[in-house]
Amino acid sequence: MERSVLKSMLKDMLLARAFEEQAAYEYTQGNIAGFLHLYPGEEAVAVGVLHAAEPGDYIVSTYREHVHALVRGVPPGKIMAELFGRKDGCSGGLGGSMHLFDKQRRFMGGYGIVGETYPVSTGIAYAIAMRELPEAVICFFGDGAVNQGTFHESLNMAALWNLPILFVCENNRYQIGTEIHRHSKVTEVYKRACAYKIPAEQVNGMDVIEVYKATQSALLRIREGTGPQFLEIETYRLRGHSMADPGSYRPKVEVQAFKDEDPVTVMLQESLPEYPSAEQISAIGKDNIEHLSEHMHQADLISPEEFLRMKQQVADSVEQAVQYALQSPEPSMEEAFSALNCNRGQEVLI
Amino acid sequence: MPREALTLPVLSDTMQTGQLSEWLKQPGDPVKKGEAVAEVESDKAIMEVEAFKDGFLDGPLAATGQDIPVGEVIAYIADSPAPSSSAHNIDPPSTSSPETSTPVIQTKDKPKNSVLTKDKPETPVQPEQSPVSTAIPSTTVNHTDPSKKHLKGLKISPYARGLAQELDLDPSTIRPAADGTIRSPQVIAAALQAKPVELDYGPQWHYKLFTPTHRAIADNMTATLGTPTFRVSARLPMDKLLHTANEQHLSLTLLLARALALSVKKYPQFNAAYTPMALAQRKQVDVGIAMDIPGSLLTPVLRNVVKQSISSLSNDWNTLKAKIKARRISASDYKGATIYLSNLGMFQVVTQFEAIVPPGAAAILAVGAIQEEHAVFTLSCDHRVVYGADAARFLEYFSQLLEKPDSWATN
Amino acid sequence: MANEVMLWQAMNKAMDIEMAADNSIFTMGEDVGLYGGSYRVTEGLYAKYGEWRVRDTPISEGGFTGLGVGAAMVGMRPVIEIMTINFALLALDAIINMATKIPFMSGGQFPMPLVIRVPGGVAKQLAAQHSQRLEHTLMNVPGLRIAVPSTPQDAWWQLRQAIQSNEPVIVLEHELLYFSKGSLDTNLDPVPMHRALIRKEGDALTLISYSRSVLLAQQAAERLAEDGIDIEVIDLRSLSPIDWQTCIDSVSKTHHLLIVEEDCGFAGAGAEIAATLSERCFFELDAPVQRHTGLDLPTPYNGTLEAATIPTVSSIINAVKQLVQSGE
Repeated sequence: MERSVLKSMLKDMLLARAFEEQAAYEYTQGNIAGFLHLYPGEEAVAVGVLHAAEPGDYIVSTYREHVHALVRGVPPGKIMAELFGRKDGCSGGLGGSMHLFDKQRRFMGGYGIVGETYPVSTGIAYAIAMRELPEAVICFFGDGAVNQGTFHESLNMAALWNLPILFVCENNRYQIGTEIHRHSKVTEVYKRACAYKIPAEQVNGMDVIEVYKATQSALLRIREGTGPQFLEIETYRLRGHSMADPGSYRPKVEVQAFKDEDPVTVMLQESLPEYPSAEQISAIGKDNIEHLSEHMHQADLISPEEFLRMKQQVADSVEQAVQYALQSPEPSMEEAFSALNCNRGQEVLI
Repeated sequence: MPREALTLPVLSDTMQTGQLSEWLKQPGDPVKKGEAVAEVESDKAIMEVEAFKDGFLDGPLAATGQDIPVGEVIAYIADSPAPSSSAHNIDPPSTSSPETSTPVIQTKDKPKNSVLTKDKPETPVQPEQSPVSTAIPSTTVNHTDPSKKHLKGLKISPYARGLAQELDLDPSTIRPAADGTIRSPQVIAAALQAKPVELDYGPQWHYKLFTPTHRAIADNMTATLGTPTFRVSARLPMDKLLHTANEQHLSLTLLLARALALSVKKYPQFNAAYTPMALAQRKQVDVGIAMDIPGSLLTPVLRNVVKQSISSLSNDWNTLKAKIKARRISASDYKGATIYLSNLGMFQVVTQFEAIVPPGAAAILAVGAIQEEHAVFTLSCDHRVVYGADAARFLEYFSQLLEKPDSWATN
Repeated sequence: MANEVMLWQAMNKAMDIEMAADNSIFTMGEDVGLYGGSYRVTEGLYAKYGEWRVRDTPISEGGFTGLGVGAAMVGMRPVIEIMTINFALLALDAIINMATKIPFMSGGQFPMPLVIRVPGGVAKQLAAQHSQRLEHTLMNVPGLRIAVPSTPQDAWWQLRQAIQSNEPVIVLEHELLYFSKGSLDTNLDPVPMHRALIRKEGDALTLISYSRSVLLAQQAAERLAEDGIDIEVIDLRSLSPIDWQTCIDSVSKTHHLLIVEEDCGFAGAGAEIAATLSERCFFELDAPVQRHTGLDLPTPYNGTLEAATIPTVSSIINAVKQLVQSGE
């Protein structure tokens, strides 16, 4: 792999982690309100997938989408301002944490209703296919979303009409607080795609390089006209579902379950409902960022000094994002009404 | 040049418009505070418009002989004499146009009402309004607003309520439909109750507009239509009273008023007025005397007729007559009588007649011409207040008074 | 030149002329292609424009309506046909959570040139699950426009305007109107899509209605005129936005308001009309605003009962008479 790609992925993962931890802090300070779903632990998915995508591809994401937007290139300040509900947010302060949009970067939104990313993606893909363009749609969703009706409706139509969609399941094994064995009979999500004759594979979401490579080849198949592709990326969120969720699970046991698919997980987890301590988390082992940074250190792709410098740059850019958000004014009610018909006012009444 | 607007004052509780009958000063004339600058005819009388400060009258002056809403600018009072160029008459209705370039200084202190008499108990305070923006006559403060009335239990539609207000109908007087509601058809029916006058089959005619006074009288008379009235007549000797009048050089009318008041004192139920809530029993007998004046009808009031001496009454009466002659009578002079007297005795051919009981009184006594030292008296009464036998007893006592004027008609 | 056509023909013609003019338009739905549409609106289009532009779908209302949303986000002009409004309940997430929210919550970045055509209403003994009307649900969604054509001419204009609009538009088509005839003049200048039209002038009462009920109201108005009761019939044509000014002007003239709708009365379209016009015309009203609506009951299969759940010409006449004659 190219050194520059690896460096860029490492930087994005560091940025993603720092941004989300800062967002959590801003939430506790009252600068961010509502629901805040954070991404730590899953960085390798967004970074690996989106680094393999082309600028012409469309990204459709869920409500846990800050990092998808960040990696796609939406300026951190624009995202932070949106989390703050400010006018300069990427959705004008009207969308919030769950609804980041950036038309210019083909970031087609964060959706708050589980299962909405599929039909949006099939629609965009239908337009691409109809116009015979070389673009693709990357559709993110979680393991909890695969039991929604639109999953099956959309996979069927995507396959039926050979639509250029890469379905990316971020399988963190939890739909909010319900572990995958308690919400699905078939827990290997990729197997469901087989029912619709969509090529699918399982990918280790702790390894960004593996995610990147899997995505690259899947997109290549799409552009070759093979139709929709499916990746189930196994990952793990370190925090609770949202800021309001204390995260009543045991990471050590979880990791064990992740590896062994231990059916006892649930029982153990329910007997130990406290949030993990820092020691417990560090005892788990390396997370996905450490995986990559260690790899790069060992391969001599990055020096310790450069790594430190990179960390500092990331910290600076997060700090700048917060300053940008703080300085942005609140949107007005006029702007809200105007957004409803995309700023066309009475002209809409044709 | 600083100048302030002189507006048409509100000179009675019912006055909404007035006509200027004459300008007493011309633009450039110096005026003193309180000095009369114009005469205005309201719905009741001609009164003076006073200057509200020292200065010089400044034009344009409002035209005479046209209806002008109260509160309209009729002239200005300037601190110094104006160049004569501004002395054009203004057309009253058009002064309300905001495009007129007439410079207007709005005064917070309204000109004081310039009623001639010092007491003005009924003169309402003019509501705050722009002197030039009221093309439509403004409603005075104590003008009854039907929509504001307490109409508990009355089912009237919003549209009907607005319509009644516009037509100046009191919703409580409108006859509801069979289902108990009042809607626009009921309001319109009530408004049309005064049936249109059929003129088409008669000779040609032209309209002669009411003067404000005539209009007010007509409205008053219409208002009495709802009064259930009965009349009792008696032919009474007048010889003794005539004798006393001649001897004492007293007006016969004055003596009749005194006798009437004493009869009211004896039978105080005649000093009451009907109101929907209860009878309003008056504490003093004030006699209104219908007077024939050219083109109009006025009822100057003699106050406290029972308690006053004859000579004092005589003075009052002469003052009132003088005011009428000079057309300088105000509301406090002609309003609020508790009993009325109407004398057509000066017309020898009139042997007897009936008068209409004015609102606010229980009765009116009509006096015909004296023939063979007798006159026919007809007492018209509000049957809601007094009854036939009351009227009979009243006239009987009145007759006794006429028989012995010495006991009450001398000082 | 005006021709007598059936309403479905007018819509078919409108689809054709728009699709010919703009290749970003495609239509999609169950049996819209080969079959030609269950009410023939898309008849002949599959052969002319091919399967990408006239797409038969699986029975996945939520899925393909949402597909329309996604396509509209990237500049397509999808015309989604949901076979009946009853099935649209499965697509409400796409309509309410997506189509009207994306333009807004993206801060105005994504216009939504999406048309959703839905037949509905009480037809002929289709029973409770196939006879519904959902105006109330849709009207309560800010940003959604709802056209309710009652004539072939309006169907022609309003479908074309809906396709050209950059807002999400629901076209509610009454199943009993597809085969009703009316004149269509394709050269007439269109009336704005949201403008209410006065179908009959009168001064005794304002009758506000929409869709099929307008036709019933017009028949009732003719019969009432024979009895000397001259009512004004307003065809709203659009339930969101509503052309309030036309309604207000009429109520200010007649002082009486009757709303006729086929939908259930409780919290229905008529409730909104009554509330707003009571607010805005209170002092013009000479009688309480009345609604004459469908019963608050699922539609029974039994034909006699079914007919009795919705307004008829004679029930409208009664309602009008009761209102204008109250207080007499």
